[in-house]
Amino acid sequence: MALLSVRDLVVRFRTHDGTVYAVNGVSFDLDEGETLGLVGESGCGKSVTNLAVMRLLPSPAGRIEGGQVVFEGLDLLSLDESAMRDLRGKDIAMIFQDPMTSLNPVLTIEEQMVETIRAHRRVSKAEARATTIELLGMVGIPQPEARLKNFPHQFSGGMRQRVMIAMALALEPKMLIADEPTTALDVTIQAQVLELLSRLAAEHGTAVILITHDLGVVAGMTKRINVMYAGFVVESATTPDLFARPHHPYTVGLLHSMPRLDAQPGEPLIPIEGTPPDLRFAPVGCAFAPRCAWRVDRCWKENPGLEPMQPTQEIVTTGPRATHRVACWNQPTAEEAAAARPLRPGFEPAVPPVEDLQ
Amino acid sequence: MSKFDNLPAVAPGAIATSSAAATSSAPATRPRGPLLEVTDLRLYFPITSGLLVNHHVGDVRAVDGVSLSIEREETLGLVGESGCGKSTIGRTIMRLYKPTSGRIVLDGQDITTLGGAALRAVRRRMQMIFQDPYASLDPRMTAAGIVSEPLEIHGVDPVGGRRERVRELLATVGLDPDYGDRYPHEFSGGQRQRIGVARALALNPDLIVADEPISALDVSIQAQIINLLERLQSEFGLTYLFIAHDLSVIRHISDRIAVMYLGRIVELAGSRELYERPLHPYSVALLSAVPIPDPVVEGRRRRIILTGDVPNPANPPSGCHFHTRCWLRERLGNPERCVAEDPALRPMSEGHQVACHFADEVDGSAEQVQVTGRRAGASASAAAAPTPATLSVPEGPSPRPQDRG
Repeated sequence: MALLSVRDLVVRFRTHDGTVYAVNGVSFDLDEGETLGLVGESGCGKSVTNLAVMRLLPSPAGRIEGGQVVFEGLDLLSLDESAMRDLRGKDIAMIFQDPMTSLNPVLTIEEQMVETIRAHRRVSKAEARATTIELLGMVGIPQPEARLKNFPHQFSGGMRQRVMIAMALALEPKMLIADEPTTALDVTIQAQVLELLSRLAAEHGTAVILITHDLGVVAGMTKRINVMYAGFVVESATTPDLFARPHHPYTVGLLHSMPRLDAQPGEPLIPIEGTPPDLRFAPVGCAFAPRCAWRVDRCWKENPGLEPMQPTQEIVTTGPRATHRVACWNQPTAEEAAAARPLRPGFEPAVPPVEDLQ
Repeated sequence: MSKFDNLPAVAPGAIATSSAAATSSAPATRPRGPLLEVTDLRLYFPITSGLLVNHHVGDVRAVDGVSLSIEREETLGLVGESGCGKSTIGRTIMRLYKPTSGRIVLDGQDITTLGGAALRAVRRRMQMIFQDPYASLDPRMTAAGIVSEPLEIHGVDPVGGRRERVRELLATVGLDPDYGDRYPHEFSGGQRQRIGVARALALNPDLIVADEPISALDVSIQAQIINLLERLQSEFGLTYLFIAHDLSVIRHISDRIAVMYLGRIVELAGSRELYERPLHPYSVALLSAVPIPDPVVEGRRRRIILTGDVPNPANPPSGCHFHTRCWLRERLGNPERCVAEDPALRPMSEGHQVACHFADEVDGSAEQVQVTGRRAGASASAAAAPTPATLSVPEGPSPRPQDRG
């Protein structure tokens, strides 16, 4: 049985402007020790999905309106708040994008870490302090003992993110959710932090959900990827499979729209035209249809489910043999995926969208 | 711009004639040298302390002796990590800051100490595109108002009227001209950045300083803006100073690239040359740190993990600023020279300058080869979308075409 199992998760935000359809039926599984990437641009629901798993949605606007989240056989959505609080940090830890806003600015590093450890474990202050020093050393903070009395603002961005990682791993959680952990960092510091994160996760056998918009980061860090768009998982595959054989027009578009460091000079970029949809409108049909060159009539009316490439195929949801699944009525062929545009004789590429203001 | 042009009102006609004189005299005397030449530019921000009297206790050396030139219709990429001074250079060239020392020459005219009307006339020829399309547009002005403001400030009356010119500019950047009467909040991030680009184009500038113009945008939108900037460059013969932290983007758009570290240029080379033969240890590390969206390539790469953080620019390390984090210095047994002697930017080959005492040691090093896969020569398939074939490439130390990253 999978460590984490999310089924048909639906999250809505009730705001003054109306309902925001943030997550529209997301399902995925995660095995122990597995690394899963959730990729998509801002507003695609990748962070909201994980806040829902942690039951940390901003209340009262954000509501889980359907689905199931099962962690180690425990139904998280029906758990009472105190049991959930016990679970957070101890079993599931989280690292956020901005380490300055997620550390308490008026407490020293020692106070914050000792508090975290003692909230979940019956240890003395001295023991918790010793653990803290050990953890800070493990994440590569020079002279950890001397820095215990420092406040977060006395650390650089990269160092703060290391402190966050140390805190997240303090209680040896089974699962770690890292939400854009390196987006705020410089590229050489990003390399340090990613290296640290993958080494520690592997050493402790921690399962990791890595949320990012950067396909480069997931390529090196994860074993499996879910691509999300407008609150749907549109493609799910193992990492090598997804990059070698992308099948969803959105994934194909993402791969061609960013310049690659190892690309030929002068290689033109093929952008995805249009803009992501306004989530205040209930999704009808495929959410990507307005921007998709491969769209057919059916795309406007029916929302495609996440299905395996062959309909009869048995579905494996986790591990290195996970089934490649795509939510698309008219998938690009391998040649079309390589060219990032429809090539089929007799098939008219859809016209790019007119930039429309809602 | 308006914030910096709060000069006493002058009759529009007066400005029009003065700037017309400046531009009309230009073709006759226009030297064929580079459009922009910056020599030994320094910009220090003073650090002061004290309660009643501010004592000058030090300087943040944001830009510390930078020389560069940009040819006409060329794109120079300025790349480096946060705090390296790349944005400050852009702003100093725009004369939003007053340089501490050095010289800025635009099209043969020294603009280092210009002020008043003369500076305003020069500003017509250079425009800026900012990073944040949310903060750089006045929320109380309509799109058309934003785009026509430069015309009003400089008293320009285009043929057909300002209104028509604004419509034309909006269409040029891919927006519906009828959206002119809408406000910034009604547009998406990508559309707002298009408005920012239209505003920069309004005065037909020669030089555009683009400071991280895509880093605040969504991934799927970034390529739209990059392609737009490239199209406009060839259409209007623009010259770009393109400032970014993202090496992949910089490499894509630039003809030449300057790599900065702590207020100095450490390497300056043609875009292709820099990626095929980086000669500064910092450039090599920077290239190796960029993730490549291909698990096959990623699985084979070995990163050079730089230790520590960028030092404080108020108190930079002696000698070579990079020596505290340099992987090569460690390899060479920590030579004294790196600490004692400040390396000058020196030519290594045609158009390729490096500020490192031991650049020859970088050339051909395992790290350089790892990062560039240089021996494999030009890559044939790396640029194409990943195909099943890339998966079957056996793992191994021999550099393959895909190895170039």
